[in-house]
Amino acid sequence: MTSSQAKTTNDPASPRVRSLTLANRIDILPEHAIERIHEGTLRVLDRVGVEVRSDRTVTNLERAGARADHDAGRVRFPPEVVEAALAQAPSALLLAARDPACDLELDGSHGYLAVDGNAAEILDLETNERRASTKADLAQVARVADALPQIGFLWQPVAARDEPIEVQPLHEIATEFANTSKHVQLMTATEPEQARGAIEIARIVAGGERELRERPVLSAFQCSLSPLTYDGGPLEAAAIYGQAGVPCGFVAMPIACATAPATPAAALVVSNAEVLAGIVSLQLLAPGAGTFYGASGTVMDLRTGAAACGGPEDLLFQMASAQLARRYGVPSSIGTFATGAKAADWQAGVENGLSGMASWLGGADMLCGAGLLFGARVHSIAELVLDAELFDLMCHLAGEVPVTDEDLALEVIEAVGPGGHFLAQPHTLRNMRRMWRPRVFDRETWEAWETAGRPEPRDLARERARKILAEHEPIPLADGIEDDIREVIAAYASD
Amino acid sequence: MDEKIAALREALYALDDAAAVSIATELIDGGADPQRVLQQGLAEAMLEIGRRWNAGDVFLPEVVAAAEIFKRCNDIVEPALIAAGGRTLGHKVVMATVKGDLHDLGKSMVGAMMKTAGFEVHDLGKDVPTERIIEAVRERHPRIVALSSLLTTTVPEQRNVITALQEADLRRDVKVLVGGAPVTEEWAREIGADGFAPNAPEAVKVALELVGDERMGGA
Repeated sequence: MTSSQAKTTNDPASPRVRSLTLANRIDILPEHAIERIHEGTLRVLDRVGVEVRSDRTVTNLERAGARADHDAGRVRFPPEVVEAALAQAPSALLLAARDPACDLELDGSHGYLAVDGNAAEILDLETNERRASTKADLAQVARVADALPQIGFLWQPVAARDEPIEVQPLHEIATEFANTSKHVQLMTATEPEQARGAIEIARIVAGGERELRERPVLSAFQCSLSPLTYDGGPLEAAAIYGQAGVPCGFVAMPIACATAPATPAAALVVSNAEVLAGIVSLQLLAPGAGTFYGASGTVMDLRTGAAACGGPEDLLFQMASAQLARRYGVPSSIGTFATGAKAADWQAGVENGLSGMASWLGGADMLCGAGLLFGARVHSIAELVLDAELFDLMCHLAGEVPVTDEDLALEVIEAVGPGGHFLAQPHTLRNMRRMWRPRVFDRETWEAWETAGRPEPRDLARERARKILAEHEPIPLADGIEDDIREVIAAYASD
Repeated sequence: MDEKIAALREALYALDDAAAVSIATELIDGGADPQRVLQQGLAEAMLEIGRRWNAGDVFLPEVVAAAEIFKRCNDIVEPALIAAGGRTLGHKVVMATVKGDLHDLGKSMVGAMMKTAGFEVHDLGKDVPTERIIEAVRERHPRIVALSSLLTTTVPEQRNVITALQEADLRRDVKVLVGGAPVTEEWAREIGADGFAPNAPEAVKVALELVGDERMGGA
């Protein structure tokens, strides 16, 4: 009980980023099922292909080995082209951070949690009402995410909707770099010009062109439009990232029954074809570029037609998609915390608890969605704090169970004997701080709970978020960097 | 001597059993004032551990471990104290797990936490017959009698102790505090106890209320 032992909170020795050990992952689909889906995907890529809404990109892909139908804007990939391109994608990925202590090594051994989703609305921390999100909101969420060790990296959790649309992504990464020293991933820079601007900003933060290549503090990804379509900009933007050494992944977000077929196997084929079309295109245009396999699939709610988010089909898509990513030897980014609930309530807890377990057991390298409600349409900082708590619990479960002499403690069992207690044993005192302890889950007595006005975990989470916002100071950017970034944004805004 | 007493407190903070016992022995053998060793050494250390527990820096197993060291040191100090003519620590508490019940872990936690609030705790142990509790009350004159039972089958024994206190004409002299998993506020009222607490830290607050101490557990 010396003073160094006594500090159990904000321990400087605790890591800035917690990760999920993936030693116990399981393959949800048997080998023959994965191969059927793979073969089906090759056939779809060869016979149907994907629509690419940019003739320049269609031409570039044609030169690199794909079959093009310029009139239809269609690109088809022969199986041998697909296999050769996939073989060029690196299997491990460094997501570097401003603070090297927050570097993430995606090599299949650990999973990391992200805030993300680029939600258009936020649940106001004070009024608890939803409203359009702003740059100030993004800064706030980024600061909370920077403080929470459970968050590994950030792609925009909310959109900076108070900035002009064409430079919104640049404002967003600038805001994130200023408010976190963790890795930043960019979702919305889907036009070549935006990608160039983002790279310029990342080079300023990293300290130069070569520095960014060696330590990519920025990564990006592009989304397909299900079924089987890429807009004009994304594939070209991906190539620009690839050439600059910025990893760029591809994420499919199919909705079974609507933008994908109704059966899980067919939805996986469509989703897989879209992601592989992206990865193959990137490898054809920027061979060897860092990339990843992203999937956030769900089903349509049969009554309303909206994306359901949070059901058992989603859990299957999570695990199967991570398994497919392993099949292709690239890291996976899996939509995880994506409850359909509108508040940080029982439904949110159950859905995110189960989906967290699914992504862990499925072996996801990146787990997305901390803080999202209402099917990723609304961000809630209280939900973010709760999801972080959930992830923390999972990290503890996923940790190793050592069986050394100290851990088996047979002498202690013998010394205490029947009927005694282990409370004050030196062994207990030595080891008790290894136990998991909640930050916001309630373990109070009934009386204390009543006295406090029967608080819900989400109330405690809001309190914790307020405390973090009042106390946490992210590592600032070096002098002059924010001015340089502002100049870049101004230049792109006037173009 | 002040340095030695400070070292005694440090030994309790470090949960260093051997060091604490050896310092306490040295102090008493060297003719130190036993009242000061008890108050400024042992009791003050327990109060500080209570403050650290309140701050979330120390956990219950550590409080219990410190209380065990406190007890060992107190055994060394007490004879000298009695020889010097009495003692004053804090409010006295007599506690016991009632007859038929072998669970004394919860009670030990309560005892340990009470020590952090300056109470002088006399723990009679587990499976304690009612007569022994009455005897201890006669002998020690405590302000509080704390009764624990973990089982629904032994909890009625708490009522029997209260009845026995009434019959021995001791009920008005003491406050009765009851606890244990099956015990509720309603049960406490029903059997005519003065207080109930759902866990060890709460028990300290209730005990301080019962003796009219305004610290309310803010040890």
